[in-house]
Amino acid sequence: MRVAQARRFVISDHPLPWLAPLVAILLVFTVYPLIYNIWLSFHEFVPRRRALEFVGTENWVQLGNDTRFWQSLVITFTYFAIALVFELVLGMAIALLLDSDGFGFGFLRGVLTMTLVIPPAIVGMMYLLMEDPQFGVISYLLQSIGLLNPNNPILATASTALAGVLVAEIWQWTPFMVLIFLAGLRALPPEPYEAAMIDGASSFQIFRRITLPMMSKVIAIAVLVRGIDLFRVFDYVFVMTSGGPGASTYSLSLYAWQQTFSFVKWGYGATLSLVTLVIILVIANVFIRIAKVRW
Amino acid sequence: MNGSFSTRMLRTIAAWVVVAVFFFPIYYWTSVAFKHGNDIFNRPPKLFAFTPTFDNFQKVFGISLGSGGITVTPGGGNFYMAPRVWDSIVIATLSTLLAVVIATLAAYALSRMNFRGRHSFVGWVLSTRMMPPVAVAVPMFFIYKNFGLIDTYTGMVLIHALMNLPLAVLLMKSFFDDIPSEIDESAIVDGASRFMIFRRIVLPMAKGGIAATAVLCFIFSWTEFLFALTLTTTSLKTVPVVSSTFVTSIGTAWGNMAALGAASIIPAFIFILLVQKHLVRGLTMGSLKQ
Repeated sequence: MRVAQARRFVISDHPLPWLAPLVAILLVFTVYPLIYNIWLSFHEFVPRRRALEFVGTENWVQLGNDTRFWQSLVITFTYFAIALVFELVLGMAIALLLDSDGFGFGFLRGVLTMTLVIPPAIVGMMYLLMEDPQFGVISYLLQSIGLLNPNNPILATASTALAGVLVAEIWQWTPFMVLIFLAGLRALPPEPYEAAMIDGASSFQIFRRITLPMMSKVIAIAVLVRGIDLFRVFDYVFVMTSGGPGASTYSLSLYAWQQTFSFVKWGYGATLSLVTLVIILVIANVFIRIAKVRW
Repeated sequence: MNGSFSTRMLRTIAAWVVVAVFFFPIYYWTSVAFKHGNDIFNRPPKLFAFTPTFDNFQKVFGISLGSGGITVTPGGGNFYMAPRVWDSIVIATLSTLLAVVIATLAAYALSRMNFRGRHSFVGWVLSTRMMPPVAVAVPMFFIYKNFGLIDTYTGMVLIHALMNLPLAVLLMKSFFDDIPSEIDESAIVDGASRFMIFRRIVLPMAKGGIAATAVLCFIFSWTEFLFALTLTTTSLKTVPVVSSTFVTSIGTAWGNMAALGAASIIPAFIFILLVQKHLVRGLTMGSLKQ
Protein backbone atom coordinates (compact mmCIF):
# COMPACT_ATOMS: atom_id res chain seq x y z
CA MET A 1 0.00 0.00 0.00
CA ARG A 2 2.74 2.41 1.03
CA VAL A 3 4.71 1.59 -2.07
CA ALA A 4 1.70 2.20 -4.27
CA GLN A 5 1.09 5.53 -2.58
CA ALA A 6 4.70 6.57 -3.01
CA ARG A 7 4.56 5.48 -6.62
CA ARG A 8 1.46 7.53 -7.24
CA PHE A 9 3.12 10.57 -5.66
CA VAL A 10 6.20 10.19 -7.80
CA ILE A 11 4.22 10.14 -11.02
CA SER A 12 1.74 12.81 -9.88
CA ASP A 13 1.63 16.47 -10.83
CA HIS A 14 3.46 17.48 -7.69
CA PRO A 15 6.79 19.19 -8.55
CA LEU A 16 8.60 17.85 -5.48
CA PRO A 17 9.87 14.54 -6.88
CA TRP A 18 11.11 16.35 -9.97
CA LEU A 19 12.93 19.03 -8.05
CA ALA A 20 14.15 16.94 -5.13
CA PRO A 21 17.52 15.85 -6.61
CA LEU A 22 18.32 19.42 -7.67
CA VAL A 23 17.33 20.86 -4.30
CA ALA A 24 19.35 18.21 -2.47
CA ILE A 25 22.56 18.89 -4.38
CA LEU A 26 22.13 22.67 -4.22
CA LEU A 27 21.54 22.53 -0.47
CA VAL A 28 24.56 20.34 0.16
CA PHE A 29 26.92 22.22 -2.14
CA THR A 30 25.82 25.85 -1.79
CA VAL A 31 23.76 26.40 1.35
CA TYR A 32 25.94 24.22 3.55
CA PRO A 33 29.23 25.81 2.38
CA LEU A 34 27.64 29.20 2.92
CA ILE A 35 26.74 28.40 6.52
CA TYR A 36 30.12 26.77 7.07
CA ASN A 37 31.86 29.87 5.66
CA ILE A 38 29.91 32.15 7.97
CA TRP A 39 30.80 29.94 10.93
CA LEU A 40 34.43 29.80 9.81
CA SER A 41 34.62 33.58 9.49
CA PHE A 42 34.22 33.84 13.28
CA HIS A 43 37.03 31.37 13.89
CA GLU A 44 40.70 31.19 13.08
CA PHE A 45 43.18 28.36 12.83
CA VAL A 46 45.80 28.55 15.55
CA PRO A 47 48.87 26.67 14.28
CA ARG A 48 50.44 26.23 17.70
CA ARG A 49 47.37 24.37 19.01
CA ARG A 50 46.51 22.88 15.60
CA ALA A 51 42.89 23.83 16.11
CA LEU A 52 40.23 26.32 15.13
CA GLU A 53 39.44 28.83 17.83
CA PHE A 54 36.58 31.25 18.21
CA VAL A 55 37.82 34.77 17.57
CA GLY A 56 34.55 36.70 17.49
CA THR A 57 34.43 39.45 14.89
CA GLU A 58 38.21 39.73 14.64
CA ASN A 59 38.30 38.61 11.00
CA TRP A 60 35.65 41.11 10.03
CA VAL A 61 37.43 43.93 11.86
CA GLN A 62 40.67 42.91 10.18
CA LEU A 63 39.05 43.51 6.77
CA GLY A 64 38.87 47.23 7.48
CA ASN A 65 42.57 47.51 8.33
CA ASP A 66 43.86 45.15 5.66
CA THR A 67 45.31 47.31 2.88
CA ARG A 68 45.90 44.18 0.78
CA PHE A 69 42.17 43.51 0.86
CA TRP A 70 41.25 47.03 -0.28
CA GLN A 71 43.94 46.84 -2.92
CA SER A 72 42.56 43.55 -4.23
CA LEU A 73 39.06 45.04 -4.24
CA VAL A 74 40.29 47.93 -6.40
CA ILE A 75 42.21 45.54 -8.67
CA THR A 76 39.16 43.29 -9.09
CA PHE A 77 36.93 46.24 -9.99
CA THR A 78 39.54 47.63 -12.37
CA TYR A 79 39.93 44.27 -14.05
CA PHE A 80 36.16 43.89 -14.24
CA ALA A 81 35.59 47.33 -15.75
CA ILE A 82 38.43 47.34 -18.27
CA ALA A 83 37.73 43.80 -19.48
CA LEU A 84 34.00 44.45 -19.79
CA VAL A 85 34.42 47.67 -21.77
CA PHE A 86 36.98 46.15 -24.15
CA GLU A 87 34.99 42.96 -24.65
CA LEU A 88 31.75 44.87 -25.27
CA VAL A 89 33.19 47.41 -27.70
CA LEU A 90 35.43 44.98 -29.57
CA GLY A 91 32.70 42.35 -29.50
CA MET A 92 30.15 44.71 -31.01
CA ALA A 93 32.55 46.00 -33.65
CA ILE A 94 33.57 42.50 -34.73
CA ALA A 95 29.96 41.29 -34.65
CA LEU A 96 28.94 44.13 -36.99
CA LEU A 97 31.87 43.26 -39.23
CA LEU A 98 31.03 39.56 -39.35
CA ASP A 99 27.27 40.07 -39.75
CA SER A 100 27.28 39.11 -43.40
CA ASP A 101 26.23 36.17 -45.52
CA GLY A 102 29.26 36.59 -47.76
CA PHE A 103 31.50 33.70 -48.70
CA GLY A 104 33.65 32.43 -45.80
CA PHE A 105 31.93 34.37 -43.04
CA GLY A 106 30.42 31.24 -41.49
CA PHE A 107 33.89 29.73 -41.37
CA LEU A 108 35.29 32.85 -39.69
CA ARG A 109 32.56 32.72 -37.03
CA GLY A 110 33.45 29.07 -36.38
CA VAL A 111 37.14 29.89 -35.97
CA LEU A 112 36.33 32.56 -33.39
CA THR A 113 34.47 29.93 -31.33
CA MET A 114 37.78 28.15 -30.72
CA THR A 115 38.98 30.50 -28.00
CA LEU A 116 35.98 29.60 -25.84
CA VAL A 117 36.85 25.91 -25.44
CA ILE A 118 40.43 26.38 -24.21
CA PRO A 119 40.81 26.05 -20.44
CA PRO A 120 41.53 29.56 -19.08
CA ALA A 121 44.47 28.13 -17.13
CA ILE A 122 46.02 27.01 -20.43
CA VAL A 123 45.25 30.39 -22.02
CA GLY A 124 47.16 31.89 -19.10
CA MET A 125 50.09 29.64 -19.97
CA MET A 126 49.88 30.61 -23.65
CA TYR A 127 50.16 34.28 -22.80
CA LEU A 128 52.83 33.60 -20.19
CA LEU A 129 54.96 32.24 -23.02
CA MET A 130 54.02 34.95 -25.52
CA GLU A 131 54.76 37.69 -22.98
CA ASP A 132 58.08 36.20 -21.92
CA PRO A 133 60.67 38.99 -22.08
CA GLN A 134 63.28 36.92 -23.94
CA PHE A 135 61.49 34.71 -26.44
CA GLY A 136 57.83 35.73 -26.19
CA VAL A 137 56.33 36.82 -29.46
CA ILE A 138 54.24 39.68 -28.00
CA SER A 139 57.16 41.05 -26.01
CA TYR A 140 59.40 40.80 -29.05
CA LEU A 141 56.91 42.70 -31.18
CA LEU A 142 56.43 45.47 -28.61
CA GLN A 143 60.17 45.72 -28.00
CA SER A 144 61.02 45.96 -31.67
CA ILE A 145 58.61 48.84 -32.24
CA GLY A 146 59.95 50.53 -29.12
CA LEU A 147 56.82 50.32 -27.00
CA LEU A 148 58.35 48.06 -24.41
CA ASN A 149 61.61 48.41 -22.53
CA PRO A 150 63.40 45.02 -22.60
CA ASN A 151 64.38 45.58 -18.95
CA ASN A 152 60.73 45.68 -17.89
CA PRO A 153 59.12 42.29 -18.51
CA ILE A 154 55.37 42.76 -18.98
CA LEU A 155 54.27 40.43 -16.21
CA ALA A 156 57.06 41.26 -13.78
CA THR A 157 56.53 45.02 -13.83
CA ALA A 158 53.88 46.33 -11.47
CA SER A 159 52.53 48.93 -13.90
CA THR A 160 52.01 46.52 -16.82
CA ALA A 161 51.27 43.17 -15.16
CA LEU A 162 47.51 43.69 -14.98
CA ALA A 163 47.43 44.75 -18.63
CA GLY A 164 49.37 41.58 -19.49
CA VAL A 165 46.72 39.48 -17.78
CA LEU A 166 43.89 41.47 -19.32
CA VAL A 167 45.20 40.76 -22.81
CA ALA A 168 44.65 37.03 -22.21
CA GLU A 169 41.21 37.65 -20.72
CA ILE A 170 40.06 39.94 -23.54
CA TRP A 171 41.46 37.63 -26.21
CA GLN A 172 39.57 34.64 -24.85
CA TRP A 173 36.22 36.28 -24.15
CA THR A 174 35.72 38.88 -26.88
CA PRO A 175 34.54 36.06 -29.20
CA PHE A 176 31.94 35.20 -26.53
CA MET A 177 30.48 38.70 -26.99
CA VAL A 178 30.83 38.46 -30.77
CA LEU A 179 28.76 35.27 -30.93
CA ILE A 180 26.04 36.64 -28.66
CA PHE A 181 25.84 39.97 -30.48
CA LEU A 182 25.82 38.25 -33.86
CA ALA A 183 22.81 36.19 -32.81
CA GLY A 184 21.16 39.39 -31.62
CA LEU A 185 21.93 41.27 -34.84
CA ARG A 186 20.58 38.45 -36.99
CA ALA A 187 17.28 38.46 -35.09
CA LEU A 188 16.63 42.17 -35.67
CA PRO A 189 13.63 43.02 -37.87
CA PRO A 190 14.53 44.67 -41.21
CA GLU A 191 11.72 47.28 -41.27
CA PRO A 192 13.33 50.01 -39.11
CA TYR A 193 16.46 49.79 -41.26
CA GLU A 194 14.51 50.17 -44.46
CA ALA A 195 12.72 53.23 -43.04
CA ALA A 196 16.02 54.76 -41.93
CA MET A 197 17.56 54.19 -45.37
CA ILE A 198 14.67 56.01 -46.99
CA ASP A 199 15.13 58.89 -44.54
CA GLY A 200 18.79 59.01 -45.54
CA ALA A 201 20.25 58.28 -42.09
CA SER A 202 24.02 57.75 -41.86
CA SER A 203 25.27 54.33 -40.81
CA PHE A 204 26.45 55.73 -37.47
CA GLN A 205 23.00 57.21 -36.85
CA ILE A 206 21.42 53.89 -37.74
CA PHE A 207 23.69 52.08 -35.30
CA ARG A 208 23.16 54.65 -32.54
CA ARG A 209 19.38 55.09 -32.94
CA ILE A 210 18.21 51.69 -34.14
CA THR A 211 20.70 48.89 -33.59
CA LEU A 212 21.82 49.81 -30.05
CA PRO A 213 18.33 50.33 -28.59
CA MET A 214 17.03 47.14 -30.17
CA MET A 215 20.06 45.22 -28.91
CA SER A 216 19.76 46.50 -25.34
CA LYS A 217 18.32 43.27 -23.96
CA VAL A 218 21.02 41.19 -25.63
CA ILE A 219 23.73 43.52 -24.34
CA ALA A 220 22.29 43.41 -20.83
CA ILE A 221 22.38 39.62 -20.77
CA ALA A 222 25.92 39.51 -22.16
CA VAL A 223 27.06 41.99 -19.49
CA LEU A 224 25.41 39.98 -16.73
CA VAL A 225 26.78 36.57 -17.74
CA ARG A 226 30.28 37.85 -18.46
CA GLY A 227 30.30 40.27 -15.53
CA ILE A 228 29.66 37.50 -13.00
CA ASP A 229 32.67 35.57 -14.29
CA LEU A 230 34.89 38.64 -14.52
CA PHE A 231 34.35 39.45 -10.89
CA ARG A 232 35.42 35.97 -9.82
CA VAL A 233 38.62 36.02 -11.89
CA PHE A 234 41.11 33.48 -10.59
CA ASP A 235 42.62 31.24 -13.27
CA TYR A 236 44.55 33.85 -15.27
CA VAL A 237 46.09 35.63 -12.30
CA PHE A 238 46.90 32.38 -10.51
CA VAL A 239 48.73 30.96 -13.51
CA MET A 240 50.33 34.11 -14.92
CA THR A 241 51.37 36.20 -11.93
CA SER A 242 50.16 34.59 -8.66
CA GLY A 243 49.04 38.08 -7.70
CA GLY A 244 52.43 39.71 -8.23
CA PRO A 245 54.60 41.56 -8.71
CA GLY A 246 54.01 43.01 -5.29
CA ALA A 247 50.25 42.86 -5.08
CA SER A 248 49.52 44.43 -8.43
CA THR A 249 47.35 41.61 -9.80
CA TYR A 250 45.70 40.22 -6.64
CA SER A 251 42.05 39.53 -7.41
CA LEU A 252 39.64 38.99 -4.53
CA SER A 253 39.23 35.30 -5.36
CA LEU A 254 42.98 34.76 -5.50
CA TYR A 255 43.55 36.65 -2.25
CA ALA A 256 40.86 34.60 -0.48
CA TRP A 257 42.27 31.35 -1.89
CA GLN A 258 45.82 32.18 -0.86
CA GLN A 259 44.82 33.19 2.65
CA THR A 260 43.22 29.78 3.09
CA PHE A 261 45.61 27.48 1.30
CA SER A 262 48.97 29.25 1.32
CA PHE A 263 48.87 31.10 4.65
CA VAL A 264 46.55 28.72 6.57
CA LYS A 265 44.32 31.63 7.56
CA TRP A 266 41.16 29.57 7.24
CA GLY A 267 38.88 32.00 9.02
CA TYR A 268 40.14 35.07 7.20
CA GLY A 269 40.03 33.25 3.85
CA ALA A 270 36.39 32.35 4.51
CA THR A 271 35.64 35.96 5.42
CA LEU A 272 37.19 37.18 2.17
CA SER A 273 35.30 34.65 0.07
CA LEU A 274 32.05 35.72 1.77
CA VAL A 275 32.78 39.33 0.91
CA THR A 276 33.37 38.34 -2.73
CA LEU A 277 30.08 36.45 -2.75
CA VAL A 278 28.09 39.31 -1.23
CA ILE A 279 29.50 41.88 -3.67
CA ILE A 280 28.65 39.70 -6.68
CA LEU A 281 25.13 38.94 -5.42
CA VAL A 282 24.37 42.60 -4.71
CA ILE A 283 25.75 43.96 -7.98
CA ALA A 284 24.18 41.20 -10.09
CA ASN A 285 20.77 41.54 -8.48
CA VAL A 286 20.74 45.32 -8.74
CA PHE A 287 21.71 44.94 -12.39
CA ILE A 288 18.97 42.37 -13.00
CA ARG A 289 16.41 44.79 -11.50
CA ILE A 290 17.61 47.82 -13.46
CA ALA A 291 18.08 46.06 -16.78
CA LYS A 292 14.92 43.98 -16.27
CA VAL A 293 16.65 40.78 -17.31
CA ARG A 294 14.33 37.80 -16.96
CA TRP A 295 14.81 34.07 -17.12
CA MET B 1 24.61 43.31 -47.93
CA ASN B 2 24.02 45.85 -50.68
CA GLY B 3 27.24 47.84 -50.76
CA SER B 4 29.45 48.29 -53.78
CA PHE B 5 31.94 45.60 -54.76
CA SER B 6 34.87 47.47 -53.22
CA THR B 7 33.18 47.93 -49.80
CA ARG B 8 32.30 44.24 -49.82
CA MET B 9 35.91 43.37 -50.59
CA LEU B 10 37.13 45.71 -47.87
CA ARG B 11 34.77 44.13 -45.37
CA THR B 12 35.86 40.61 -46.30
CA ILE B 13 39.52 41.54 -45.95
CA ALA B 14 38.92 43.24 -42.60
CA ALA B 15 37.01 40.21 -41.33
CA TRP B 16 39.80 37.82 -42.29
CA VAL B 17 42.43 40.05 -40.71
CA VAL B 18 40.52 40.33 -37.42
CA VAL B 19 39.91 36.60 -37.19
CA ALA B 20 43.54 35.92 -38.11
CA VAL B 21 44.64 38.10 -35.18
CA PHE B 22 42.41 36.07 -32.86
CA PHE B 23 43.59 32.80 -34.36
CA PHE B 24 47.27 33.70 -34.13
CA PRO B 25 47.82 32.68 -30.45
CA ILE B 26 46.26 29.28 -31.17
CA TYR B 27 48.52 28.83 -34.19
CA TYR B 28 51.56 29.93 -32.23
CA TRP B 29 50.77 27.62 -29.31
CA THR B 30 50.22 24.69 -31.65
CA SER B 31 53.50 25.47 -33.45
CA VAL B 32 55.30 25.37 -30.09
CA ALA B 33 53.90 21.87 -29.58
CA PHE B 34 55.70 20.80 -32.77
CA LYS B 35 58.98 22.58 -32.02
CA HIS B 36 62.31 21.42 -30.66
CA GLY B 37 63.47 23.24 -27.55
CA ASN B 38 66.00 25.46 -29.34
CA ASP B 39 63.32 26.61 -31.79
CA ILE B 40 61.02 27.61 -28.92
CA PHE B 41 63.74 29.64 -27.23
CA ASN B 42 64.84 31.37 -30.40
CA ARG B 43 64.92 35.13 -30.64
CA PRO B 44 63.27 36.47 -32.76
CA PRO B 45 60.48 33.91 -32.24
CA LYS B 46 60.21 31.40 -35.07
CA LEU B 47 56.74 31.50 -36.53
CA PHE B 48 56.95 29.33 -39.64
CA ALA B 49 60.52 28.27 -40.35
CA PHE B 50 61.19 25.41 -37.97
CA THR B 51 61.66 21.66 -38.28
CA PRO B 52 58.53 20.04 -36.91
CA THR B 53 58.86 17.23 -34.38
CA PHE B 54 56.51 14.87 -32.59
CA ASP B 55 58.79 14.62 -29.54
CA ASN B 56 56.53 16.70 -27.33
CA PHE B 57 53.46 14.63 -28.11
CA GLN B 58 55.43 11.44 -27.57
CA LYS B 59 56.59 12.54 -24.14
CA VAL B 60 53.19 13.76 -23.05
CA PHE B 61 51.06 10.93 -24.39
CA GLY B 62 53.59 8.13 -24.44
CA ILE B 63 52.76 7.28 -28.02
CA SER B 64 55.76 6.22 -29.97
CA LEU B 65 55.87 7.71 -33.44
CA GLY B 66 59.05 6.27 -34.85
CA SER B 67 61.68 6.22 -32.12
CA GLY B 68 61.14 7.55 -28.64
CA GLY B 69 58.28 6.67 -26.34
CA ILE B 70 57.91 7.70 -22.73
CA THR B 71 60.99 9.64 -21.86
CA VAL B 72 62.20 12.05 -19.24
CA THR B 73 62.51 15.62 -20.43
CA PRO B 74 65.50 17.88 -19.85
CA GLY B 75 63.23 19.87 -17.53
CA GLY B 76 63.77 17.15 -14.97
CA GLY B 77 60.27 15.73 -14.57
CA ASN B 78 58.37 12.90 -16.14
CA PHE B 79 55.68 14.58 -18.20
CA TYR B 80 53.69 11.51 -19.21
CA MET B 81 50.18 12.91 -19.10
CA ALA B 82 47.89 10.29 -20.64
CA PRO B 83 46.43 9.31 -17.22
CA ARG B 84 45.62 12.95 -16.50
CA VAL B 85 43.74 13.22 -19.78
CA TRP B 86 41.82 10.11 -18.76
CA ASP B 87 41.00 11.70 -15.38
CA SER B 88 39.66 14.76 -17.17
CA ILE B 89 37.55 12.67 -19.52
CA VAL B 90 36.05 10.58 -16.70
CA ILE B 91 35.24 13.61 -14.55
CA ALA B 92 33.80 15.64 -17.41
CA THR B 93 31.69 12.75 -18.73
CA LEU B 94 30.24 11.61 -15.41
CA SER B 95 29.59 15.11 -14.08
CA THR B 96 27.86 15.99 -17.35
CA LEU B 97 25.68 12.91 -17.09
CA LEU B 98 24.73 13.70 -13.50
CA ALA B 99 24.06 17.37 -14.17
CA VAL B 100 21.97 16.71 -17.27
CA VAL B 101 19.79 14.06 -15.61
CA ILE B 102 19.06 16.16 -12.52
CA ALA B 103 18.62 19.34 -14.54
CA THR B 104 16.28 17.77 -17.07
CA LEU B 105 13.93 16.51 -14.35
CA ALA B 106 13.91 19.84 -12.55
CA ALA B 107 13.62 21.88 -15.74
CA TYR B 108 10.58 19.90 -16.83
CA ALA B 109 8.80 20.71 -13.56
CA LEU B 110 9.83 24.38 -13.80
CA SER B 111 8.59 24.56 -17.37
CA ARG B 112 5.32 22.66 -17.03
CA MET B 113 4.01 22.67 -13.48
CA ASN B 114 2.44 25.64 -11.78
CA PHE B 115 3.35 25.90 -8.14
CA ARG B 116 3.80 28.66 -5.64
CA GLY B 117 7.27 30.18 -5.59
CA ARG B 118 8.23 28.85 -9.00
CA HIS B 119 9.61 32.21 -10.06
CA SER B 120 11.70 32.67 -6.93
CA PHE B 121 12.93 29.10 -7.28
CA VAL B 122 14.32 29.95 -10.72
CA GLY B 123 15.88 33.04 -9.14
CA TRP B 124 17.51 30.90 -6.49
CA VAL B 125 18.96 28.54 -9.09
CA LEU B 126 20.31 31.54 -10.99
CA SER B 127 21.85 33.01 -7.85
CA THR B 128 23.79 29.82 -7.19
CA ARG B 129 25.46 30.47 -10.55
CA MET B 130 26.81 33.69 -9.06
CA MET B 131 28.65 32.03 -6.18
CA PRO B 132 32.37 32.59 -6.59
CA PRO B 133 34.03 29.16 -6.81
CA VAL B 134 36.41 30.15 -4.05
CA ALA B 135 33.47 30.57 -1.64
CA VAL B 136 32.43 26.98 -2.38
CA ALA B 137 35.89 25.45 -2.69
CA VAL B 138 37.17 26.59 0.71
CA PRO B 139 34.43 24.93 2.79
CA MET B 140 34.21 21.95 0.45
CA PHE B 141 37.90 21.30 0.97
CA PHE B 142 37.34 20.75 4.69
CA ILE B 143 34.16 18.74 4.13
CA TYR B 144 35.84 16.58 1.48
CA LYS B 145 38.76 16.01 3.81
CA ASN B 146 36.43 14.70 6.50
CA PHE B 147 34.65 12.39 4.10
CA GLY B 148 37.77 11.25 2.27
CA LEU B 149 36.59 12.75 -1.01
CA ILE B 150 39.80 14.61 -1.84
CA ASP B 151 41.48 13.07 -4.89
CA THR B 152 38.44 10.98 -5.82
CA TYR B 153 36.36 10.86 -8.96
CA THR B 154 33.21 11.03 -6.80
CA GLY B 155 34.25 14.33 -5.25
CA MET B 156 35.23 15.95 -8.53
CA VAL B 157 32.14 14.65 -10.36
CA LEU B 158 29.84 16.02 -7.65
CA ILE B 159 31.43 19.46 -7.55
CA HIS B 160 31.53 19.83 -11.34
CA ALA B 161 27.94 18.66 -11.61
CA LEU B 162 26.96 21.27 -9.05
CA MET B 163 28.89 23.95 -10.92
CA ASN B 164 27.00 23.13 -14.12
CA LEU B 165 23.53 22.66 -12.61
CA PRO B 166 22.32 26.28 -12.74
CA LEU B 167 23.29 26.55 -16.41
CA ALA B 168 21.82 23.14 -17.25
CA VAL B 169 18.52 23.80 -15.45
CA LEU B 170 17.94 27.21 -17.01
CA LEU B 171 19.00 26.01 -20.43
CA MET B 172 16.83 22.88 -20.37
CA LYS B 173 13.91 24.95 -19.10
CA SER B 174 14.23 27.22 -22.12
CA PHE B 175 14.21 24.20 -24.44
CA PHE B 176 11.15 22.70 -22.74
CA ASP B 177 9.41 26.09 -22.92
CA ASP B 178 9.78 25.86 -26.71
CA ILE B 179 7.72 22.67 -26.85
CA PRO B 180 4.02 23.57 -26.82
CA SER B 181 2.35 22.41 -23.62
CA GLU B 182 -0.76 21.41 -25.58
CA ILE B 183 1.12 18.22 -26.42
CA ASP B 184 1.37 17.35 -22.71
CA GLU B 185 -2.23 18.30 -22.09
CA SER B 186 -3.66 16.14 -24.84
CA ALA B 187 -1.57 13.22 -23.59
CA ILE B 188 -2.92 13.74 -20.06
CA VAL B 189 -6.44 13.62 -21.45
CA ASP B 190 -5.49 10.29 -23.02
CA GLY B 191 -4.56 9.05 -19.57
CA ALA B 192 -0.79 9.22 -19.70
CA SER B 193 1.11 9.91 -16.49
CA ARG B 194 3.43 12.87 -16.16
CA PHE B 195 6.51 10.71 -16.22
CA MET B 196 5.31 8.86 -19.29
CA ILE B 197 4.75 12.16 -21.13
CA PHE B 198 8.16 13.32 -20.04
CA ARG B 199 9.93 10.17 -21.15
CA ARG B 200 8.01 9.28 -24.30
CA ILE B 201 7.05 12.68 -25.72
CA VAL B 202 8.95 15.64 -24.28
CA LEU B 203 12.41 14.10 -23.95
CA PRO B 204 12.61 12.90 -27.56
CA MET B 205 11.45 16.31 -28.73
CA ALA B 206 14.14 18.04 -26.68
CA LYS B 207 16.99 15.84 -27.94
CA GLY B 208 18.87 18.69 -29.60
CA GLY B 209 18.60 20.80 -26.47
CA ILE B 210 19.85 17.99 -24.25
CA ALA B 211 22.83 17.49 -26.54
CA ALA B 212 23.68 21.19 -26.44
CA THR B 213 23.37 21.26 -22.65
CA ALA B 214 25.57 18.20 -22.33
CA VAL B 215 28.27 19.66 -24.57
CA LEU B 216 28.43 22.88 -22.59
CA CYS B 217 28.54 21.03 -19.27
CA PHE B 218 31.33 18.86 -20.64
CA ILE B 219 33.36 21.86 -21.79
CA PHE B 220 32.92 23.77 -18.54
CA SER B 221 34.04 20.73 -16.57
CA TRP B 222 36.92 20.14 -19.01
CA THR B 223 38.18 23.71 -18.59
CA GLU B 224 37.46 24.18 -14.88
CA PHE B 225 40.47 25.08 -12.76
CA LEU B 226 39.81 26.26 -9.21
CA PHE B 227 37.86 23.27 -7.88
CA ALA B 228 40.21 20.81 -9.54
CA LEU B 229 43.20 22.65 -8.13
CA THR B 230 41.78 22.75 -4.62
CA LEU B 231 40.13 19.35 -4.31
CA THR B 232 42.83 17.16 -5.83
CA THR B 233 46.37 16.70 -4.61
CA THR B 234 48.40 13.90 -6.14
CA SER B 235 46.69 10.80 -7.47
CA LEU B 236 44.06 12.63 -9.51
CA LYS B 237 44.47 15.76 -11.60
CA THR B 238 42.73 17.35 -14.54
CA VAL B 239 44.42 18.75 -17.63
CA PRO B 240 44.17 22.46 -16.71
CA VAL B 241 45.67 21.85 -13.27
CA VAL B 242 48.43 19.62 -14.48
CA SER B 243 49.48 22.23 -17.04
CA SER B 244 50.94 24.33 -14.29
CA THR B 245 53.20 21.47 -13.21
CA PHE B 246 55.24 21.90 -16.38
CA VAL B 247 56.82 24.89 -14.70
CA THR B 248 59.83 23.43 -12.91
CA SER B 249 62.70 25.01 -11.05
CA ILE B 250 64.99 24.39 -14.03
CA GLY B 251 62.64 25.97 -16.53
CA THR B 252 59.31 25.51 -18.17
CA ALA B 253 58.72 22.59 -20.52
CA TRP B 254 56.81 24.76 -22.98
CA GLY B 255 56.85 22.23 -25.80
CA ASN B 256 55.31 19.50 -23.67
CA MET B 257 52.79 21.85 -22.16
CA ALA B 258 51.78 23.12 -25.58
CA ALA B 259 51.37 19.56 -26.86
CA LEU B 260 49.00 18.77 -24.00
CA GLY B 261 47.17 22.07 -24.42
CA ALA B 262 46.79 21.78 -28.17
CA ALA B 263 45.56 18.19 -27.95
CA SER B 264 43.06 19.06 -25.22
CA ILE B 265 41.43 21.74 -27.36
CA ILE B 266 40.55 19.42 -30.24
CA PRO B 267 37.79 17.27 -28.65
CA ALA B 268 36.14 20.29 -27.06
CA PHE B 269 36.18 22.18 -30.34
CA ILE B 270 34.64 19.29 -32.26
CA PHE B 271 31.89 18.98 -29.65
CA ILE B 272 31.07 22.66 -29.76
CA LEU B 273 30.85 22.68 -33.54
CA LEU B 274 28.27 19.89 -33.33
CA VAL B 275 25.91 22.06 -31.31
CA GLN B 276 26.76 25.43 -32.85
CA LYS B 277 23.07 26.00 -33.53
CA HIS B 278 22.34 26.26 -29.80
CA LEU B 279 25.65 27.76 -28.71
CA VAL B 280 24.50 31.30 -27.99
CA ARG B 281 21.47 30.07 -26.10
CA GLY B 282 23.79 27.92 -24.03
CA LEU B 283 26.30 30.67 -23.34
CA THR B 284 23.51 32.95 -22.09
CA MET B 285 21.91 30.23 -19.94
CA GLY B 286 18.86 29.96 -22.14
CA SER B 287 17.86 33.59 -22.15
CA LEU B 288 18.70 34.30 -25.80
CA LYS B 289 17.32 32.13 -28.53
CA GLN B 290 19.00 31.97 -31.89
